[in-house]
Amino acid sequence: MKIKSSLLAVSSCLLLNTVSNVAMADVNFNGFASIVGGVTTASGEQLYGYNDNIDFKKGSLFALQASSDLENGLGVTAQIIARGANDWDPKFEWAYLSYDATDNLRFLVGRQRAPFYMYSDFLDVSYAYPWITPPNGVYNLLFDSFDGIGILYSGQLGEFDTTTHFIYGKNDSAVSALGETITPDFKDFTGLSFSANREWLTLRAAYFQANMTMPFQFLQPLQNGWAQTGFTDISNDVVMNGDKGTFIELGMQIDYNDYILNAEYTNLTLDHTPFGDQKSYYVMVGKRIDNFLVHITYGKDDDSKNDFTASAPFGVAPTLDFLKASTQQIIASQKSDEKYLIVGLRWDFHDSAALKFEYTSFSDNLNNTNDANLFRVALVTVF
Amino acid sequence: MLNKYRAFVLGVFCSSLLVSHLANAEVAVIVNSANSSAISDTEISRLFLGKLKKYSAGDKAVPINQKFGSAIRKEFEKKVLKKSSTQVKAYWSKRVFSGKGKPPKELTSDKDILAQISANKNAIGYIDAASINDSVKVIRKF
Repeated sequence: MKIKSSLLAVSSCLLLNTVSNVAMADVNFNGFASIVGGVTTASGEQLYGYNDNIDFKKGSLFALQASSDLENGLGVTAQIIARGANDWDPKFEWAYLSYDATDNLRFLVGRQRAPFYMYSDFLDVSYAYPWITPPNGVYNLLFDSFDGIGILYSGQLGEFDTTTHFIYGKNDSAVSALGETITPDFKDFTGLSFSANREWLTLRAAYFQANMTMPFQFLQPLQNGWAQTGFTDISNDVVMNGDKGTFIELGMQIDYNDYILNAEYTNLTLDHTPFGDQKSYYVMVGKRIDNFLVHITYGKDDDSKNDFTASAPFGVAPTLDFLKASTQQIIASQKSDEKYLIVGLRWDFHDSAALKFEYTSFSDNLNNTNDANLFRVALVTVF
Repeated sequence: MLNKYRAFVLGVFCSSLLVSHLANAEVAVIVNSANSSAISDTEISRLFLGKLKKYSAGDKAVPINQKFGSAIRKEFEKKVLKKSSTQVKAYWSKRVFSGKGKPPKELTSDKDILAQISANKNAIGYIDAASINDSVKVIRKF
């Protein structure tokens, strides 16, 4: 897991070999990788980007982390991930300075992961959890990382070890969504997560909010149209421009005598935007048998959006009718009622690597042409 | 072909026997002779999982691990941490890749660990009970 390198020290010694007491920090390299193959079980079926042509690229990734302890509690860490989905283009997912003020209090400054979910902190480290990836129905926010500060406090509450994680920052990295690549602006991104662990039980809760702007081109004509017809409120609601979004997460994990129960619930609220509110959950049960872990997960995703065009009358003017119909079409597209069942097997065939098999049966209650079955296999490792 | 397969199965069988034989070693948890803190089993586990960083007397604790994958470490992980080595590895990968902590330093032999612990009053480690000598203090055997 750990390759210790004194490259920096060696090279500086070469440069400064007359100076005998150059203090240089060691750099630790760690890494992880997933090679994921996936295929849907029937032609025409699509799920999570997979279709009936077997693909080994989309879900695969390689990551390398370099970290170094400077003196007096200061450390520096960078994690680069190359994803098949991005044509193996490497990107910094984490790049931060850490400072341990005390044994219990750590500050992180820089690019880091937002602790939205139970598995956020190690979202890409498939080796660290049972599935190939955590359930998509819940783990589907547009961004995972942010730039800012994180404060981690580890304490004790009775018999429980607790971690309190506060974050503040922003994210303005380009995202591709709804057929456009845009530069969003998620600012005043603030959040708190709390988890408590005692032997076999872990409980978690998190809350986040942000001031969100997502400048989608395709919404512009609607915004202008509603503004020109005097419906200012609707004009504001049909775009996401400085609107407050909130996110709540509740999670639990039980790991008792080789039986595992994991569950997570999330609630995303995007008022005064054209995007749906999302309520999602999953429940997973598993059992470890020797080097194997068999697991089954049931999840549900329920998205809704109120009709914010209700104040505009229908049948009064053709322009208004057109605006209302177009907007309602978007509102309808934001609703969803989906469920899925995942059956998986993890085999720890090696001390540092595992082989995983997963079958996902997905159904869309609003449009059953989206129903699909996906089979994935993954080789995952940490080093 | 069949013979090759038989040889492989036999090999796997023999090596699993070997592993289980080695895994029966008694594990002795050791500290520096000057360390007078009372350390419970739970505290030993918490120290090696990075959840506890100080002894009861307030001194900083420096846990020293055996090499990953070694029989003695597997035994320690099973008896004291109550986890398989895969689970421990998964636990540390969560912490390492999320900036929450890093695993204890590893040394490769009982001899090196004894030397380190007798030299560092904050160190805590574990070795095969058969390797114990009086340069260190044994606090618990598993």
